[in-house]
This record gives sequence, C-alpha cells and structure tokens, in this order.
Amino acid sequence: MSTEAERPRVRPAAIASWLNAGWVERSAIWVVLVALLGVAALFSDAFLQPSYLFNMVRQAAPVGVAAIGVTLVMVMGGVDLSVGAVISLAAVVAAVLMDGQAGNIGYALAATLTIGAAIGFANGVLVAWNRGSPFILTLGTAVAVYGLTQIYSGGTARGIVAPGFREFFNERIGGLVPVLALLFLAAATIAALVQRTTRFGRSLYLVGSNPRAARLAGLRAARLTVTTYTLSGLLAALGGIALLARSGVSSTFAGRGFEFDALAAVVLGGTTFEGGRGGVGGTVAGLLVLFVAFNLVNILGLNYNVQRLVAGVIIIVASAAYTYLTSRRLTESRLWPSHHTSEGAP
Amino acid sequence: MRLTDRGIYWVLATVLAAAGLIPEFRSLGNLANVATQSAALAVLALGQTFVILCGLIDLSVGQLTGLIVVLVCDVAAGRDAMTAPALLLALGLGAASGAITGLLNNRLRIHPLILTFGTMSVLQGIVFTYTDRSVGRAPAAIAWLADGRLLGLPVAPLLVLLLAAGAHVTLTRTRFGMHVHAVGGGRDNARRAGIDTDRVAATVFVISGVSASIGGLLVAGRLGVGYPHAGAGFELDAIVAVVLGGTSLAGGRGSVAGTVAAVVLGGTSLAGGRGSVAGTVAAVLLLGLTNNVLNLLQISSFIQMLVKGLIVIGAILVNQPGGRRAFA
Repeated sequence: MSTEAERPRVRPAAIASWLNAGWVERSAIWVVLVALLGVAALFSDAFLQPSYLFNMVRQAAPVGVAAIGVTLVMVMGGVDLSVGAVISLAAVVAAVLMDGQAGNIGYALAATLTIGAAIGFANGVLVAWNRGSPFILTLGTAVAVYGLTQIYSGGTARGIVAPGFREFFNERIGGLVPVLALLFLAAATIAALVQRTTRFGRSLYLVGSNPRAARLAGLRAARLTVTTYTLSGLLAALGGIALLARSGVSSTFAGRGFEFDALAAVVLGGTTFEGGRGGVGGTVAGLLVLFVAFNLVNILGLNYNVQRLVAGVIIIVASAAYTYLTSRRLTESRLWPSHHTSEGAP
Repeated sequence: MRLTDRGIYWVLATVLAAAGLIPEFRSLGNLANVATQSAALAVLALGQTFVILCGLIDLSVGQLTGLIVVLVCDVAAGRDAMTAPALLLALGLGAASGAITGLLNNRLRIHPLILTFGTMSVLQGIVFTYTDRSVGRAPAAIAWLADGRLLGLPVAPLLVLLLAAGAHVTLTRTRFGMHVHAVGGGRDNARRAGIDTDRVAATVFVISGVSASIGGLLVAGRLGVGYPHAGAGFELDAIVAVVLGGTSLAGGRGSVAGTVAAVVLGGTSLAGGRGSVAGTVAAVLLLGLTNNVLNLLQISSFIQMLVKGLIVIGAILVNQPGGRRAFA
C-alpha cells in the first residue's frame, strides 16, 4: 500500500525517460567488465596491476581498432565481416613494403592504409547500390581478400619488419603504458567523440534506426554508407599494422577469426544488428571483457584448447548477464518501440 | 515468386553451361564426384535453412561436425560391429547439442550469433582437448554412405535428395513448417498468434544439430579417419549456401529448393523468414561446381579462393531480395 501511495511523487514518466536515455544499457557492459575483473582478481593478483592491465589493452589493440570501424558500420545497420581478412592483408603488405628498411616505414604504412580504405570503399559501394545482405557481401569480400593475400604472399609468411618499428609501438611510456595501447585508446576516444558530436556520427544513428526517415530528412544514405565502410576498411588496415607491431606476424591468415572477436566485442558492447543503438564506448568495454576472459584462462595455466572452451562459456555468461541487466529495463518501461524484435533477427 | 528469388538458378545454369564447355566436366564420373563432395555441406545447409528461416543462426555446426567426425572414427576404430553404436552416438550427440543450444537461446535471450559463437568456441575446445591429431577409422558402412554406390548411383547425393525432399515437405506442407516461417517473419506477431515460439526455436536448433550429425558421418566416411580440423569453416559455407539460395537472414522467407541450389551455388538471405531448400541446394551445387571446374582447369588454390569470394559477391548481387540491413 505504501508504495502505491508514494508512486505519484516519484513521477513514473521522469523515471521512464531517465531509463530510456539508455543509461542502464550503456553502463551494463561496464558492470559486467568490473565484475569479471573482480572475479579474475580472486584468481590472480596480476589483474590488479596497472602494467598487466595496460599490456592487456596492448594485446587487444589490433582487434579493438578494427572493432571501432565495425561498430560504426553496425550502428548504421550494416555489418562488416571482411575485417579479419583486411587485417591479414594489411600485415602482409606492410611487412613486404617495409622490406627491413626503416626509411620505408612511412610509405609502407600509407600504402597499407590506402589499400584497406579501398577494400572498405568497394564494400560500401556494393552495399549502397545493391539490396543484398552486407553479412554475405562482406563475407564474400573476406574470402576474395584472403585469396588476394595468398596470391601476394605466395602462401607463406613474407616481408621483413623494419628495425625500430615494433620497438616504437611496444615502448612503454613512463614505463607503464605501451604506445600501442595508448594509440588504441586514442582512436576509440576520437571515434566516440565523432559519433557523439558530429553530424556524420548522429546521421549514422538516424540511418540505423530508420533508414526511410533518414532519406526523407534529406540524408544521403548511399554516401554515408560508402564513407562508413571505407572508414571500417581503413581502421581494419590500421588493426593489421597494429598486429604487425604487436607480434611481428605477417602471414596470410594472421587475422583469421578476428572478425568474430570484433563482432563479439561490438555486440557485447550493446550495438545491435538492427542498427541505431550502441556505440564505440560499449565496444571498448565488450572488447576488454573478451580479453580479460582470454587472459584469465591463460593465467590459470590452461592450454589453448581449454582456453577456447572457457572463453566460449565466458562469452555466453557475460552476454547473458548483460542481456539480463538491459532487458529488465525494457520490460519495466515498455516505452521502447518493439519493431526491432519483430523485424530483425531475434 | 520474384525474379530475384530465382537468381540462384540463373547463376547455376550459367555456370553449368560454362562448365559444359570443359570435356572432363561432362563425364558422368566427374558429375557424380561434384555431387558426392557437396553432400556433407548440402546436409549442413539444409539444417541451417530451418535455423535461418526462423530468423536465427547457428555458427556451431562446423565444430559440431568436427567433433562427430572425431568421435565416430575413434569409437568405431574401423570395426563394423561398432557401426550402429557410432551412428547412434553421432545422432544423439547432434540432437543433444542442438537441444542445449535451443534451451540456452530461449532462456538467456542472447543474440544467436553471440550464443552460437560461444558454443562454437566451446565445441572447438572440446574437439581439440579430445585429440589434436587424426584418430580412429570409419567403419565400412559409413564409408559406403559417403562414397559408395547403390544401383550404380552415388549414395551420398541420393541421401541429400531424400533429406532435401523431406525438408521441403516439412517447410511447405506441415504446421511446423508454417510456424518456422511465421516466427522468422516476426517473432512477436507469431507469439501473439498463439505459436509456441520457444519450442519452434528449440526444434530448429535440434534439426541443425542432427544435420551436423549426418554431415559429420558423411565427412568421416569420406576422410576415413577422425581428423579434428574436418569441421573448420563449414558453418560459414553452410550459411553462405543458405543465403545464396534465397532464404532471408531476417527470417520468414526461404525454401529448400533455393538452399539446395545455393549449396550448389552457395542463396538464402540472412534476415530470416525467406528462402528455400531448393535455393540452398542450388547454391551448394554452385560452390561445389566452381571448385570442381577450377580444379579441372588446374587453377591454383589461391586463385580459387579469390574466385569463390567473387562468386559469393556476384551471386548475392543478383540474388538477394530485401533491404540493406545487416540481416536483410
């Protein structure tokens, strides 16, 4: 009875609008991340040490940079599965063009980024001017790019990393923060700002949540699509360079499977396949959840195969916890339009 | 039927006509080869057609196939007496794995892509913890199923035809088939119409799991040994086949015929609810055909990969109906 009497004073509409601002949705994955870190810390003190945590961010950087691009594409209602292939191609091309000469670094990186952007541009044109599914289109691009990479590399690891290249990126600033980790965090911050404050960023959300309204509002959806996929290709190439810097690997399939790691990070972070929701901030949290999971399994001394098993379980549990936290809000407020669930994949 | 829905058949016809110019291709033995080699993928794609029609997706079938290949060969170890237990093990494991995925899907409400990405990872961990090298040997009966002949005709393609016919009838003539389309077309509306959407979802995952069982048996029979890497990549090929066969990734549209065409050619739309078994079969045939033709022309596997990617892009350009959403 007493709760019934209090209800008018707390203004349900105000609560609903606060909930609808997406606060719970945006922060749920961070709650999951903190909880997972807490659990991890029970198993190993390493998870409380800043140097270990920053090293983890360094590990995550190649997938993370690519995941930023995938987030932008998915907010717009698309998807990009070609990033793993582009990462591989970029690592090979960068290593081959460097050819062990420090003087070649600038030109090698510029050429690599251009190639990544070109593949993204091709994806964007295919998606914008065709009514086909970006899921399959970009999967097709991925297979084609893997083929190209194999032809280019001759099927083996090729290229020589220039001296100083890896040293620079793995240098720890102040003995603590690796340059690579810092660059990834900087890229994520810039992307989050672009997405939140620029006209381009806001347009992505409009096109993603209601493409027809976006078109009627005068947005050039096709141009936006091409721009976003180009960005995704560019960022994936950057991810390839980051991979080369992190591990020195430049073989055909160096980035194979990264597209799913990136996708898992993006979806864990609250960006949906239907578009119009989520953002780069959530992706960073989702990515860290994945890498804390990978590291936890590793630090427990389990072999790689058991790692896959446990990582799978953690992905499911973390995702379920996240869904639980966010769906409570949905059922409580009932203000969210339900067209997402009735039209898209459930 | 829209023109775009038939795109897969046009592409298949074109590739067939082009392939017909190669003398080696026209031999009956080679045609039987294409059909036999495509059989496992076709079965997986048939299962995936149900899942994608329902607006869901199952990434775990590839690793499940690998697990079944390893277990069947290890348990049987070439002994014919173990054929029946191995068969039961394969079918039971596939169905159980599908039922667990279905249960998790209904209870946890995670996006199926994430859920089955997780189960895929778990299954992969199990396969390679079990063994990281080839083990056991397939019994003769399972080898016959994959590579043998019945009245002069290859057995595996006959099995695929039988399963495709069953899948087609199930999807177009039964209440369950209608429910799959309804759930894929709009889950909320289906629920309001009184359909037990959770049961439909669980059932399609079980069907997908069993398709991995049969696919695994065919792969085990063809390889002869329990090779742990046998299932890698199958899930994507199966999805590509289903989408190319005209089934929509958004759910609700699709057919067995399209799936078969796609598995030949690789055309179901990822939006779910659209597509056909025939399309999938056509797409599978297309994929198989392309491999075969490129092999006959002695083109390097690197270039084959590039060509395969371009074919997927080409097929989707002519074939995919619907909007430009991720899963449409």
